Amino acid sequence: MRDTEGPHHPYSQLRQQIRAGRPVLLDGAMGTELVRRGVRWRKHGLLTDSSAVCQLHADYLAAGAQILRTNTFQLNPRIYLNVFRNREHMRHIGVPGLEQMASNLLRRSVEVAREACRNTGQQEPVAVAGVLSPLEHCFRPDLAPPPQVARREQEALARIFAEEKVDLLLLESMNTVAEARATIEAGRAAGLPVWASFVLGPEGELLSREPLEKAVREAEQAGAEAVLVNCAPPQDISRAVERLVRYTKLPVGAFAHIGRFSPPSWKFEFFPQFTDTEEWPPERYLAEARRWREAGAVVLGGCCGTSPAHIAALHHGLAGAAKGAR
Amino acid sequence: MAYAPMAEKLRRGETVLLDGAIGTEILRRNVTWADHQLASKPAFVRGIHEDYIRAGADVISTNSFQLCRRALENHFRDEAHRRHIGARDLDDRANRLLAASVHLACEARDRASAGRPVAVAAAITTLEWCFRPDLAPSPAQARQEYREILAVVKQAGADLVLLETVNSIGEARVGLEVAKSLGLPCWVSFVCDEHGVLFTGETLEQAAAALEPLGVDALLVNCAPPADITAGMNQLARCAGVPIGGYAHIGRFDPPEWMFTDEFPPARYAAVAAGWKQIGAHILGGCCGTTPDHIAALAALR
Repeated sequence: MRDTEGPHHPYSQLRQQIRAGRPVLLDGAMGTELVRRGVRWRKHGLLTDSSAVCQLHADYLAAGAQILRTNTFQLNPRIYLNVFRNREHMRHIGVPGLEQMASNLLRRSVEVAREACRNTGQQEPVAVAGVLSPLEHCFRPDLAPPPQVARREQEALARIFAEEKVDLLLLESMNTVAEARATIEAGRAAGLPVWASFVLGPEGELLSREPLEKAVREAEQAGAEAVLVNCAPPQDISRAVERLVRYTKLPVGAFAHIGRFSPPSWKFEFFPQFTDTEEWPPERYLAEARRWREAGAVVLGGCCGTSPAHIAALHHGLAGAAKGAR
Repeated sequence: MAYAPMAEKLRRGETVLLDGAIGTEILRRNVTWADHQLASKPAFVRGIHEDYIRAGADVISTNSFQLCRRALENHFRDEAHRRHIGARDLDDRANRLLAASVHLACEARDRASAGRPVAVAAAITTLEWCFRPDLAPSPAQARQEYREILAVVKQAGADLVLLETVNSIGEARVGLEVAKSLGLPCWVSFVCDEHGVLFTGETLEQAAAALEPLGVDALLVNCAPPADITAGMNQLARCAGVPIGGYAHIGRFDPPEWMFTDEFPPARYAAVAAGWKQIGAHILGGCCGTTPDHIAALAALR
């Protein structure tokens, strides 16, 4: 039996908690909060500012999060390869080591999250979720690679997370059914439990305009152990959660973004910056999250724009939430 | 018209000095390059322009690498999605920043040129990623976007357009035609490989044949290592009937930033550029990784 299946393993405990009807608390945003704290966004902060990344993980733990998500959103070899003409050009003018950069950063992200757990001297088990996301831009479903390509590339990433012994995989902001399905299968092949979260479009379906119902059914068939929605405004998430619980018997979860996405004027890679987040102070976010809970969501957290204060508000405000945390 | 003295220098066979890198120079001064710093640190950006003018640059280029509406809109599924979750200033942010980039360069000239003629070149790169000609929009779509971009920089006071790191003849043609239709002088600079060939496989000879009849004012090569720029310069010298030039990058692309190396300190860079001059270049400058000290070293070649 793999150690991820033992009764005292953090993931087993999360499952028991969900079965007992008590909500599980995710953390909040990593990228936007690091940028807000003044971290210069390069290599996800994992090389140059790993102490700031570690501190933010620790702040989420202190706020009551039971699952730390690795700071790996939109981190895969394509983000480097895409800004060169081809692999030869990358070797010709790129800094040495770019081909291994994404896998090295993935490994580092798990170390940093584990370090945060150790530093806080946490008694209760905390799960570390390896974050996978669409291989191309999360808001551009039109760029998604064919499923068999996605399967191969995502499996390579999932296997790194498995080697680093994350407790589960969290697929975030999945924007097409096909890539979500391929990535769930990749995660299962790597031997990890997989939770799949979908990004919504303004119409309330998947960003690709595929029906949310179809996404949920295929995720379930592919072996996802929970289905979530994320990276849409809080009210959109509320409407989606009401539908999710009708589509599946799996645990359902949600984490909304707050404020407005302010894209970079460069073209290099995803740059996590949200403005106008003050329109959603923690109390208002909590009020909206109560609707998700009332509708039946059992996994709750925050996406872009949220901070440890938002997670603390959920921790204190959601009845029965995250009893294990301080 | 601040371009006239540059045209006159080139006609007389003198060397016109371009500036060096601005994006990587922002990084080297330990500031993030996100959002070009045009709105958040205007005096800092202007100060870099001033340093290049004091180093001897005759033409300074705006801090507008890849800055256009498309760069921002590419981060959303479509307009409905952008309006739903995007920042509220995105309708005009790109044009506002573009205009600001020209204004800052003009202000730097007013503050630092000490009466010496200095021209402001609006630096305009490909609409899509400069190293990916496969992503380029159709010519009709590109024309519409260049019309918007070049009208903004003209209105803001640019003296010429520098189409830089261009990766295809097709997009160069569109940009050049739009610049000319607005009455703006236009230099076109291509990114080339180690054989001096464009990333599309097109040759610089084909580029010269396509662009010279349209009135291109100079042809250059940029954003490749010095040896590759030399290869491109050899091609240009063989085929171009207009002034030619080049500016290499030094160091290594470390997305989203730049790795600075000591491989080409100013004196060594100037020695390579002296070779370009011998080949026939009359426009010399620096691309990513170069600094005001590199431009000062080039100034000593004149």
